[in-house]
Amino acid sequence: MEADNNLFEFADFDELESEHIVAPRYSYWKSVWRTFFKNKFTVGVAVLLIFIICFALIQPMLSGYSPIITPNINNADMKFLKPSAEHIFGTDHVGNEVFDAVWAGARNSIIISFVCTFINMLVGIPIGALWGFSKKMDRWMIEVYNIISNIPFLLLAMILSYVLGAGMRSLIITMTCTEWIFVAYFIRTQVMIIRDREYNMASKCLGTSTWTMILRNILPYLISVIMTYVSRQIPSLISYEVFLSFMGLGLGTTNASLGQSISMYTSYMNGYPHLFWIPVGVLAIISISLYIVGQRLADAADPRTHM
Amino acid sequence: MSNEKNGREVILSVKHVDISFEVGHKKRFDAVKDANFDIYKGETFALVGESGSGKTTLGRAILRINPCSAGEILFEGKRISGKISHEEDRNVVRNIQMIFQDPAASLNERATIEYCVSEGLYNFHLYKDEADRIAKVDRALESVGLLPEHKSRYPHEFSGGQRQRVGIARAMIMDPKFIVADEPISALDVSIRAQVLNLMNKLKVEKNLTYLFIAHDLSVVRFIADRIAVIHRGEIVEIAESETLFEYPIHPYTVSLLSTVPMPDPIVEKSRKHIVYDPSQLDQSGEKRELKELRPGHFVLANSKEFAAYEEKITRLEKERAGR
Repeated sequence: MEADNNLFEFADFDELESEHIVAPRYSYWKSVWRTFFKNKFTVGVAVLLIFIICFALIQPMLSGYSPIITPNINNADMKFLKPSAEHIFGTDHVGNEVFDAVWAGARNSIIISFVCTFINMLVGIPIGALWGFSKKMDRWMIEVYNIISNIPFLLLAMILSYVLGAGMRSLIITMTCTEWIFVAYFIRTQVMIIRDREYNMASKCLGTSTWTMILRNILPYLISVIMTYVSRQIPSLISYEVFLSFMGLGLGTTNASLGQSISMYTSYMNGYPHLFWIPVGVLAIISISLYIVGQRLADAADPRTHM
Repeated sequence: MSNEKNGREVILSVKHVDISFEVGHKKRFDAVKDANFDIYKGETFALVGESGSGKTTLGRAILRINPCSAGEILFEGKRISGKISHEEDRNVVRNIQMIFQDPAASLNERATIEYCVSEGLYNFHLYKDEADRIAKVDRALESVGLLPEHKSRYPHEFSGGQRQRVGIARAMIMDPKFIVADEPISALDVSIRAQVLNLMNKLKVEKNLTYLFIAHDLSVVRFIADRIAVIHRGEIVEIAESETLFEYPIHPYTVSLLSTVPMPDPIVEKSRKHIVYDPSQLDQSGEKRELKELRPGHFVLANSKEFAAYEEKITRLEKERAGR
């Protein structure tokens, strides 16, 4: 059978036309937020967290709470009141509002953990990135790491609190002076994993300097793991603070802190358990929501979840 | 000048280069042994061998990624191996560029195409102002058949062939003189291999480039290369003009390698015999082998006894071909 040639014609073919990409433009940060906001539970926890943090920062300013101001210390009627509409979390052994004490404590704990995490990351990430990149630096840095990581933390905290005295400044120094090296070590390992990938060799062939490579080739790949690390570091530093204050090595008796409250109220656990459980509960809510939001943010920052 | 040979300008010469790696404690593995060849300006020189034969290692030594443990590499008559000044190092980067095997692995997934292509421009500040840089990137993308609108895209949005062309654009924007192409098409789909090869040939003519083309696929090499070096276990066993090598393969390894090239003809394929390379058929007297010139431009790795045998073999082959 002969095909009728008139029925056919040559289709136009444009080489450049086939190069077009029809998919919508990809934007990394837009995709991160889209993935993050897709989960309603996460958004709920994030809203709760933001509310708690704002409340903890603002409420103490209004109440002016300080553990050494005790106007009701001689008024027996104001002591050990149960939570009620008038006294939301009840009152404590000196007649102060537990509500005020808890939020003033939460404020200090949150500030300390955020500041310490920020300092640790600021110091740890650049040093860790360079450490992972340079084989020469690795040889001596690993010895420095071995020495510093073998100093018992509690011993260091005790000595520093004797030397520097109690207070926010010395607590921040205690929780940053050795902690940064663990961040650096973590980053070093992560950098080593992707250091020898081919695109880094390509950059080297184009004459890119080490710092530019760290900034453009390495750190963007580490956003997700750094976020995971931060989301674990903040709650863990809050519990460090609580632990040190509980041991009497923290902020000292003149400053409110969650650890201080918990340690103070532990003695009344049998008679007035709410005094103990309320600060512990607030601590748990802050830690858990920080952890959940951080983890979900870290997941969203991983481009494998964007598809 | 010293960098002239047989009336042609030598752009790169590899002189008795050994490359070895430390394996464990005090043990060394020789990846490349006594490599010795010249590459002329404007030609495509192919380095062919099976995986693990040291061809990529040698290519990377030219780019100063792998250090040579002996011998030296000269580029335009100047030594570029071992310790050289920072300025000379920058000069090597400007003039010698690489096209990588795997386009998916060799592009930074977290950077836009615009950044990937202008990386070299940034490093050497090869632009007057932002507008000039953008114009250069556009021109480079256009020269490899991509569109200016691709600048804001990320590598994972492209097909393999497009990504490889981004890799080529990134190398070409530096205006290099010499390109090491490390198996540039072996990770690509068969349907777009020709496109990339044609592009490379086009750019070679336009920009007066010299290629070192590393490959394991002989049919591709025959299409693109002017001269071919066959490398086996770190040793170059034969160097010849492309057609000569296919017509008069002398070294047993070359013969066996050529016998594995598939033919798109079922009848020929059916009667084809694979020749297995057996090193025991070489002379076992222990006499040191070196690359010897059998015919002008045709080198083969041999000691004196083997050389005599190869001489006999090529004379026989020449007679056969002439009588046909």
